Amino acid sequence: MTIVEDLKILEKNGFQVLPYELAVNEEEAVKIAKKIGYPIAMKVVSSQIEHKTDIGGVVIDVKNETLLRQGFQDIEKKVRGKKIDGIMVQKMARKGIELIVGGKKDPQFGHMVIVGLGGIYVEIFKDVSARICPVTNEDVKEMFTELKANALLEGARGKRPVNKKKLEELVVKICRFMQKYDVKELDLNPVICDHEGYDILDVRFSR
Amino acid sequence: MKKMTKNLKYIFEPKSVAIVGASSTANSVGNILMKNLVDGKFPGAIYPINPKYKEILGVKCHNKLTDIKGRLDCVIIVTPAVIVPEIMKDCAKKKVGGIILITSGFEEVGRQDLAKQVKDIAEKNDIPVIGPNCLGVLNPYTKVDSIFLPVYKLGRPKPGSIAFVTQSGAVGSAITDLAAYYGIGISKFISYGNATVLDESDYLEYLLEDKETETIILYMEGAKDGRKLLETMKKVNKVKPIIVLKAGKGKGGQAAARSHTGNIAGSNMAYTAAFRQAKVTEADGINELFDFVKMFSQPKQEGKRIGVITNGGGMGVLTADYIEKEGLELAEFSETTKSELKKLLPSYGNVGNPLDLVADSGVNAYEKAVDIMNNAPEVDILVIIVLFQTPPIDERIVHVLTRVSDDRNKPVATISVGGEYTEAYRKILESNNVPNFNSPSGAIKAVGKWVEYSKYSGHLREK
Repeated sequence: MTIVEDLKILEKNGFQVLPYELAVNEEEAVKIAKKIGYPIAMKVVSSQIEHKTDIGGVVIDVKNETLLRQGFQDIEKKVRGKKIDGIMVQKMARKGIELIVGGKKDPQFGHMVIVGLGGIYVEIFKDVSARICPVTNEDVKEMFTELKANALLEGARGKRPVNKKKLEELVVKICRFMQKYDVKELDLNPVICDHEGYDILDVRFSR
Repeated sequence: MKKMTKNLKYIFEPKSVAIVGASSTANSVGNILMKNLVDGKFPGAIYPINPKYKEILGVKCHNKLTDIKGRLDCVIIVTPAVIVPEIMKDCAKKKVGGIILITSGFEEVGRQDLAKQVKDIAEKNDIPVIGPNCLGVLNPYTKVDSIFLPVYKLGRPKPGSIAFVTQSGAVGSAITDLAAYYGIGISKFISYGNATVLDESDYLEYLLEDKETETIILYMEGAKDGRKLLETMKKVNKVKPIIVLKAGKGKGGQAAARSHTGNIAGSNMAYTAAFRQAKVTEADGINELFDFVKMFSQPKQEGKRIGVITNGGGMGVLTADYIEKEGLELAEFSETTKSELKKLLPSYGNVGNPLDLVADSGVNAYEKAVDIMNNAPEVDILVIIVLFQTPPIDERIVHVLTRVSDDRNKPVATISVGGEYTEAYRKILESNNVPNFNSPSGAIKAVGKWVEYSKYSGHLREK
């Protein structure tokens, strides 16, 4: 399963995903970007690439067509030799705090859900909190308070607090989703959030 | 509660006990169990079963269970594993109340076939079976004792209100020994081993209804059924606090994962998640477990304003640090309280919180300070530091601390740090049911956990 297929299933289940389309050549990418509107981000889609940021398979904050063409060619160069499905053109996400919302099926307790500080350093900081599914809004509130990153969510350094209410709904819904599809492992990473809401940028799950 | 779980009462409150595999050989399991009952003055009928003997410790011995006339409540089995199914069939024939299966050699050595026979016979006849591969039970109220470790090596706790459920016999016996040493009373001790027939959740269910039990300690390495445990913990912990110590915290055995979540969230995190969801109190190690147990016997308190009394300034400062760290508060004394406390201090002393009575203060100053804070409405909890090293402190302090703990007006935690002399006093305080801690950090963390649980149960009441 590629990210595009995973994102489709999420959308089908009522999750709001940032607008995206898969481009298989440069001209297609230009067309899609026009449709979605600049700025956009581009990400390589390939089942052979584990960490697409690390190999230069991601270009963000592309503001116009010239930069898009340049970025497209850059990515193609970096992933040469790998089998790719195309390059995903996605609306540029809001600026905010990167969280991870994930889950897995535990052999003893069944589905569990986690939230934590997301992005590419997830496994270094390991600032996550977990609960067994299903969870209530109360449970999710507690999960946030267990995070070191909670201070950021509450609005550190003059920033406004993030919209926790919407995040709570997301976590509750993810639990239902995992149970419905009997998901083995799932990452929504990053989920970028600010005072208004959040954007789901990337998803990976296995059944 | 299912019928089999209810039937555990025949094991905990038996009128008759049979020991299959009883023996005259000193220090054998079958001999120690006989001694436990005979020397422990078990008031009911005792039936040793072993075709090799006519009598054991002066008690008539029978060839087999079915030779016994009259009803059998509890059967303790210590024979080799291979003959256990046969003995259990006799138990079914005799319609015994319950079985403690001490014998090892079942699932843990790959004999799932034998374990299945045990399970089938037990379930068909609604006979509760504790074990196999366990130490069984101890009930100080009825003097049932199937712990096959000699009393002179492993102390037996006095009757009390703490139930202790343990998967491991070794950890279980060590904690039991410590409880006995510190004079902490227990209601039930259950070492359940392989959990072939009844599992950890069933024991929690039983203890929920047990009138002697107020607090439950659970030690486990892995749950038999995680989902069931989560639901049962939620239900039981609402009524009686559960303190859990979970071993097996390492990452060992965790399957390689492809996602970030899979990599971070091991089975350990699932347990912690379940414990938090059930609002049970998780202890990190045996020392912390004991700290929590002591504090959880105190009256519930949702307020977090602490009044600290000390005869050593530094220890008060340390304690204040931990109070802040745990999210608790130092009480702000009212003018009335302040003026009363002022009278206790030497002219150079300052009324503050922590209240430093200074090293030359004696027991009288403590007594008055304790009373003032005990009556001050702005103080929710008393933390009393007593450094026994100072000259004016003598045994009368035990009386002062016991009185304030016994009146059950406010939770009390006492702290004493020191060597042999202090340890002796700590033991006396413990056996008087005064929670005493040998470190400010341990004491304050326990206080924090108790406030947290009190709030949770108070919140439930309001609903």
